[in-house]
Amino acid sequence: MKILRLTTNVFKGLGKNKMRSFLMMVGVIIGIATLIVILSITQGANKKIMARINNFGPNAIMVHSGGGKMRGQIRGPSTVSMANLARKDLQNISSIEGVKIVSPFQLKMDMPIKYQSQFTTTTVMGVMPNWADAWKRGASKGDFIQTEDVELLKKVCVIGQTVKKELFPDSNPIGAELLIGKVKFRVQGILQKRGASPAGTDFDNLVIIPFSTASRRLMNQPKYIAMIRVIVDDPSHLKIISQQISQILRRNHHLASQEEDDFKLTSSTQIVKMIKSVSGTLHIFLLLIAGLSLLVGGIVIMNIMLISVSERKHEIGLRKAVGARSKDILLQFILESLVITLTGGILGFIVGILGVKIMEWVTNMPAVVSWEALALAFGFSFIVGIIFGVQPARKASRLDPVEALR
Amino acid sequence: MNKIIQAKDITQIYRKNGAVTVKALQDVSVDIEKGEFAAIMGASGSGKSTLMNILGCLARPTGGEYFLDGENVNQLSDDDLAKIRNRKIGFVFQLFHLLPRTDSLENVELPLLYSDRSDITKLAQKALEVVGLADRIHHYPAELSGGQQQRVAIARALVNNPEIILADEPTGNLDSRAGLEVISVFQQLHAEGKTVILVTHSREIAEHANRIILIKDGRITGDERAQNPLNARDELESLPEETEVAQ
Ligand SMILES: Nc1ncnc2c1ncn2[C@@H]1O[C@H](COP(=O)(O)OP(=O)(O)O)[C@@H](O)[C@H]1O
Ligand SMILES: [Mg+2]
Repeated sequence: MKILRLTTNVFKGLGKNKMRSFLMMVGVIIGIATLIVILSITQGANKKIMARINNFGPNAIMVHSGGGKMRGQIRGPSTVSMANLARKDLQNISSIEGVKIVSPFQLKMDMPIKYQSQFTTTTVMGVMPNWADAWKRGASKGDFIQTEDVELLKKVCVIGQTVKKELFPDSNPIGAELLIGKVKFRVQGILQKRGASPAGTDFDNLVIIPFSTASRRLMNQPKYIAMIRVIVDDPSHLKIISQQISQILRRNHHLASQEEDDFKLTSSTQIVKMIKSVSGTLHIFLLLIAGLSLLVGGIVIMNIMLISVSERKHEIGLRKAVGARSKDILLQFILESLVITLTGGILGFIVGILGVKIMEWVTNMPAVVSWEALALAFGFSFIVGIIFGVQPARKASRLDPVEALR
Repeated sequence: MNKIIQAKDITQIYRKNGAVTVKALQDVSVDIEKGEFAAIMGASGSGKSTLMNILGCLARPTGGEYFLDGENVNQLSDDDLAKIRNRKIGFVFQLFHLLPRTDSLENVELPLLYSDRSDITKLAQKALEVVGLADRIHHYPAELSGGQQQRVAIARALVNNPEIILADEPTGNLDSRAGLEVISVFQQLHAEGKTVILVTHSREIAEHANRIILIKDGRITGDERAQNPLNARDELESLPEETEVAQ
């Protein structure tokens, strides 16, 4: 009851000096707004990373043909033109302990496809039936590639949703015959939607055909395999199994110890590392700004409050004369500082969200505004209010009423 | 006899930078009855304010004993003293000490903020009625004359219904008419049974009290009982009209 009265009194008092109150808030507003922006971007980025990892598969290893360095970005797929993985590699990898699925595939990008008068280009993959298990992605309509299709080199295909949209805007594609390059394929299924591929491209702009048909009829690569997707039993085994695959491939490819790999392995752990290293420095920089603004904001509040304690000596003396205890004065000044910082925190939160929305709109970066952000804004405002409010409040509460009233 | 104030051998010594000491009060003993209207009169620097602050529990004496309403104040904690100031004492100061940018009502409500009373606004309105400012409750101090401001301050001193009103040079910043108006409020409060202690350097003002305690260089030098104190209301009526216009 008494604290409620005191709080209302504090609110009224601050309202009587709006300009000063606002100036005291500025630092907190900037600090909290920055914090919210960082948090939202980080969480947005994390969501994106998680989505990518999920699309990639948290327990998958991709074996790419061809070596070379890759820094700062996820390796795009290897195409048949650089295929150098052999059937023996495949067999040896299958026999590693902990390997559950080994799914080889051929791949060619930007292949022209045509249905009646509709053209488009797409990525074509020649796959084994276990591709569906390896990617956890089968046909949403019709049939996926069957063992028989591979054995008989059938000219059948399963198309992605983007391809369906391009070539069959309003007709049922199943059973239709389309041209991939110059070869006719019959559509026997539509792939489940997936969104972004591990490399970040449209994973629904895709046509899937039997592995054997791709190797011999379409891409002319009967001997080597472009890529192998390996699924392990547990994500914690990714590192060990990757090392084993690496050893096998180096041995099979007769690479001398000083020679570089002629293949490349990627897994979800690497994806996380790459994305984090890019965004990490930016976040540290922004966090520094947020921290500094809060610190400066707090110091500003403390100084203005210390000045105001001197200015308001008479008020403090009077309050004591009419019955305020030292702790009532202490409480009043801490409440003042808390009201300032918490109001600043709320305003900062609003400014931050506006900033996030604008950034989302301008840069197309996904951002997530969460309850944690609101809680953090409140938490930090509260802490700043207490830390920097205590000193002036103690000074005020310790004033001798007779001195103060003089 | 009901002695509300019993001060025995009160001494107040100020030390300036450790070396020089000022004896603001020396062995001051005063008793004041409940319902008395007493003036404490003395020249500037004689120790009036020091004494008033001690009697009002705003300061602790360096020596002596002080009983307020039979209670030995020396032994109480600072928080207890604050409670006593809140419940038993109403202060009126020379400089009014009203909060700026705060209307009369809120100024008068201030002591209630530190009490357990719940009917804050009603009590504050009543107190403002007592001092004749019922029509000024939403005026800010800057919108009031000096006399009105001091009456708001008196209402603030009254609002908790204290036993004792302590006024330190309440007319010091007022012209004679406003001063008389303020004094007449004190006389009215005294008539209603309140104990009023008025600190002043002016004999003219002091003669409105029923008792004049003289103080000089920190010692009590006299204690007079007035049979026929001046009546501020009568004086106001006999004042020429123009003074009112001038104000
Ligand atoms: N805080 C203080 N420190 C030192 N000396 C003081 C202090 N307060 C009052 N005095 C001295 O004590 C004496 C009495 O002061 P005061 O009670 O204010 O007198 P009055 O109110 O009668 O003018 C004066 O000499 C004054 O200078
Ligand atoms: Mg004085």
